[in-house]
Amino acid sequence: MTASSTDLKVLARRNFLGNVVQGMAGVGLLHLLEAEGKAKEGWKPGVGMTHHLPKAKRVLQVFCPGAASHMDLWDYKPALEKWHGKPLPGEEQFLSFQGKNGNLMQSPWPFKPGGESGKHISSMLPHMAQHVDDIAFVHSMTSKTNTHGPGCVFMNTGHVTEGFPSAGAWLSYALGSANENLPVYVAIPDIRGEPPNGKANWSNGFLPARHQAIMLSDQQPIRNLARPAQVSAAAEDDSLKLLASLNEKFAEAHAGESDLQARVAAYSLAAKMQLSAPEVSDLAKESAVVHRQYGTDDQNPLKAAYAKNCLLARRLLQSGVRYVNLYCSSRASGVDGLLNWDAHKTLKADYERHCPIFDQPTAALLTDLKQSGLLEDTLVLWTTEFGRMPTHQAGTAGRDHNPDGFTCWMMGAGVKGGVSYGSTDEFGRRAAEHPTTVWDFYATVLHLLGFQHEQLTWYHNGLDRRLTDVHGHAIKQILA
Amino acid sequence: MRFGESNGYERNVIINNLWPFRDYVIRSLNEDKPFDQLLREHLAGDVLKPPQSQAEIGSAFLVAGPYDDVGNQDPAQAAQIRADTLDEMIRSTGEAFLGLTIGCSRCHDHKFDPILQQDYYALYATFAAVRHGSRVVATVAERTAHDAQVKPLQQKLDELNRTRDALNKQVLQRALDKLAEYEKGWPREPVSRKGTEEQFSPVEARFVRLVSAGQDANPENTNQFGIDEFEIWSAEAEPRNVALAKNGARASGASRKIEDFPGAYGPQLAIDGELGQRFLATDGSLVIELAQPTRIQRVYFSSARRETTPDHSKFVFVADYRIEISTDGKQWTEVAHGRDRKPVNGKHRDHRLYQQELTDAEREQLDQFEKDRGQTARQLSGIAPLPEIWVGQRVAAEAKGPFHVFLGGSPQRKGGLATVASLNSLKETVPAYELKPDAAEGERRLALAEWMVQAKNPLTPRVLANRLWHYHFGVGIVDTPSDFGYMGGKPTHPELLDWLAAQVLEKGWKWKPLHKLIMLSQTYRQSSDFRPAAAQVDGDARLLWRFPPRRLSAEEVRDTMLTVAGKLDKRQGGPGFRLYRFMQDNVCTYVPLDKHGPETYRRAVYHQNARASVVDLMTEFDQPDCAFSISKRASTTTPLQALTMLNHQFTLDMAQFMAQRITHDAGPNPQDQIAYAYSVSYGRPPTPDETAACLSVVKQHGLPALCRVLLNTSELIYVP
Repeated sequence: MTASSTDLKVLARRNFLGNVVQGMAGVGLLHLLEAEGKAKEGWKPGVGMTHHLPKAKRVLQVFCPGAASHMDLWDYKPALEKWHGKPLPGEEQFLSFQGKNGNLMQSPWPFKPGGESGKHISSMLPHMAQHVDDIAFVHSMTSKTNTHGPGCVFMNTGHVTEGFPSAGAWLSYALGSANENLPVYVAIPDIRGEPPNGKANWSNGFLPARHQAIMLSDQQPIRNLARPAQVSAAAEDDSLKLLASLNEKFAEAHAGESDLQARVAAYSLAAKMQLSAPEVSDLAKESAVVHRQYGTDDQNPLKAAYAKNCLLARRLLQSGVRYVNLYCSSRASGVDGLLNWDAHKTLKADYERHCPIFDQPTAALLTDLKQSGLLEDTLVLWTTEFGRMPTHQAGTAGRDHNPDGFTCWMMGAGVKGGVSYGSTDEFGRRAAEHPTTVWDFYATVLHLLGFQHEQLTWYHNGLDRRLTDVHGHAIKQILA
Repeated sequence: MRFGESNGYERNVIINNLWPFRDYVIRSLNEDKPFDQLLREHLAGDVLKPPQSQAEIGSAFLVAGPYDDVGNQDPAQAAQIRADTLDEMIRSTGEAFLGLTIGCSRCHDHKFDPILQQDYYALYATFAAVRHGSRVVATVAERTAHDAQVKPLQQKLDELNRTRDALNKQVLQRALDKLAEYEKGWPREPVSRKGTEEQFSPVEARFVRLVSAGQDANPENTNQFGIDEFEIWSAEAEPRNVALAKNGARASGASRKIEDFPGAYGPQLAIDGELGQRFLATDGSLVIELAQPTRIQRVYFSSARRETTPDHSKFVFVADYRIEISTDGKQWTEVAHGRDRKPVNGKHRDHRLYQQELTDAEREQLDQFEKDRGQTARQLSGIAPLPEIWVGQRVAAEAKGPFHVFLGGSPQRKGGLATVASLNSLKETVPAYELKPDAAEGERRLALAEWMVQAKNPLTPRVLANRLWHYHFGVGIVDTPSDFGYMGGKPTHPELLDWLAAQVLEKGWKWKPLHKLIMLSQTYRQSSDFRPAAAQVDGDARLLWRFPPRRLSAEEVRDTMLTVAGKLDKRQGGPGFRLYRFMQDNVCTYVPLDKHGPETYRRAVYHQNARASVVDLMTEFDQPDCAFSISKRASTTTPLQALTMLNHQFTLDMAQFMAQRITHDAGPNPQDQIAYAYSVSYGRPPTPDETAACLSVVKQHGLPALCRVLLNTSELIYVP
């Protein structure tokens, strides 16, 4: 009947699995899950079960909204240096999102080789260069849209229209909670605001509301978490006791209604969350050394804020949050390129502002995950909605939107490091080798999380809906 | 339905004139307007005869969904966006009225149901002229009356403008004739966005300010300009930039704002020693207070110092300006100005010439024009405008065709021709129609509506009957109310559904007789008592061995809290209230409110629901995002519901009001108060145990504390 009528059984099952985790130290659990997963019909959502043995238990998705330029960050294009100022061969006249385009434009900064793999990335990202040996770049990404809002939503939900569940919501639905005292899925928006299309990026879509991300950042605590100032601790205590007894009695009087027992449980979980969430969000618990590594004390307040959010992300992942959607920059402002990576007019000035905010804190977060061992079962994704044109936009020194080729990457649990999969043409205009869709990307993500992407479905208005729509093939070449 | 009051997608701009549609629906239901008429009005109310404003508002159904309004210059992408917009209308119409997931035939014939791709594109051609937006909704008589008032005033205004423009032109021409003479007064180089310098005799200053006398892109605008860095150099052997913040200076000046990103364009950016981000003035000045009184002799400022495209409009700069200094921040002395610089462009030159050439007599004449214009404009704005309502536009040119099937759903891959026609698979059952390619677009929508409400159409009355059942019992006879296809649920009681559908027609498509029929049934009136034996066979009571218990919906939860607090404002109609703060900086942001004022104490149906926004209480209690229609809501139980219900100020306010109400009605005795509280909350008296437990909380923490508890109880929001 209602989605919650199974909650009680779910709770019981979670406790059971929780005990198993503690008792069998993880390894046993995996075998148990694998055994259960083999019989697909035996798989149940929300109780920690997977379809097959997972490599990753949690996901960190770093999202740089605004269409972060592949050929200025990750995708080295020496041909652009050679052809700088000349027309793009074969596409001398073409219209893109904002209209006309000029000649080819080289990246304003040199690319430098990093790591043992010698992977070239922009010299604007010196800290990220330390991680190239652990990263699997997918250089041949494509999007269905060249518009920010639909592009962001597509990158997060597999659909260009609003109303579909995001990847984190799917994972919340599939696995349920790993720590009842914390949200399963957290979105950390940037201090500069929400990304294009705002909350649709971490929506539950048609899944039950509990699967949407909880918004939380170092600047914004979870809404309605704290006891109101005007209620004393004693009043709160007595009120909650009375409430529990009234709700328990009502549940007893209607013994068949599992919703009512779930509601009693919900209030006690809420109380636990009130204790856990502030503790996890308390960055003062971290050493001065750690703060310095992340750059939380940086004099650029935007960088310091993002650095704090990076640190918060690590603490959340460590504490059992399954999916963290971390944003670096926000929406399209009234002034191009100020608030996000959307460098239409003045790419150099814009990226000289955005790269330093992103580089050190993100790199520190990756180092931290690696050193703490979390990276072994944490999947890290770096995403953006699409790429940018190799040409400059007519009359400007910026680049227009390019959905035909761009870069995303993965790192961590089950991912091969130091590899580059697929490529764009010599200028970066279009995906050339192994064109890859957002659905392929998420088929891979789900595979690493222990799910067969075609089997993770929810019926809605005529179809068994999926994160990967009706497409998607896991990218085997980047699996470790 | 997917009714929402912002356009969604990236910009998600709020829509403030769709509320008449909500009022129309509520009024129609209250009047028990027959559903066949309601459906006609939803799809074609703007072309029904005779024309009627209410019916036209009904057709806002077509444009009540989300759409992408970002301008896209890439023709292929623009075509795709348009196709997505029409897809939203096609899906909504098919699912709402026919229970058919026609949208699944966008790329290929439906995989499960007998719906052809041809059918989808028949609807595409049917809706092709519909565009989102507002238009005046008024009868011919209303328009004529309005025009009669407006026209003479508008003519007067136009005449005044013409005379003024002619005078201005004359003045400028006179000045241009003496251009060489004027130019002698402008010996210095023009200002430069990349860097403009002023030197002056050393002078002691504590404050320095830049005052705009005109912007380079628009010399009449003295308020707005940008500064990426403003330097003030000391008069000493080794001059220092004493304007730098790190040297102790402070900058002030009104700036453009982004509500949720303070300081985005603030004055501090002009003295931070860094380029790239700039101060965007909105009130014509930048004031810099030095750390201490200093002898200074030079300033250097710019808006696009190292930009490769300094001409871009985002780097607007001052064209005419004054540099002033002060020791106390009150008395100012000019130390430099740009009046003797060459003009920065033709527009700027003309502006200067005009200002200098204008005689006092002409100035007086212009003042008189302004006075007359002001008066006429005030009279004009005093006339109530015709109502502009979000019913969408109908662009006949876009319905011209020819229309094609899009192979794989891509507008770039055109297949066979599509015609405006009824669904192929129902040809045998319902008399079919096929319109000529040049049929008027309104005719197409009307043909579709008429076909849907044909007595022989098996789907429309069944889908309606099932929805009514669904809202009474929490689950329909078909448990997927918008999908009667193969993938949807099978009816639990098919004969009952058939019979109810027949009743729909029998009762002339009116709802109220059907409500009565259902609510007087034995099934409806049975108790919801739990019986373990029955539950073992049919746990969810799909076969209705009891009345299915339910939790109140999000809107009902809020309305209930307001009701027990005695605060529900029952006024009907009009614009909705907001539980968020609306902000716009190109794109829009909706931030949930920490406090809900009395203007929000109306029924939740009047909330101005914006897309992709989180609203306290509503979101936690499963009100879906209005991105598209959800035929069946989830009903979940979560810790976040508990947190919001316990801690949001709304609950605390309601607890206070409830306590006031109880004290007022039940008097000062706590036992009476508790009995009264139980009566308003649950409609029953408390047991002695409950009274004792409540009494202890009231005595120690006051009546509002008890009210907060009661507002959180399951008994208040469950109908078991």
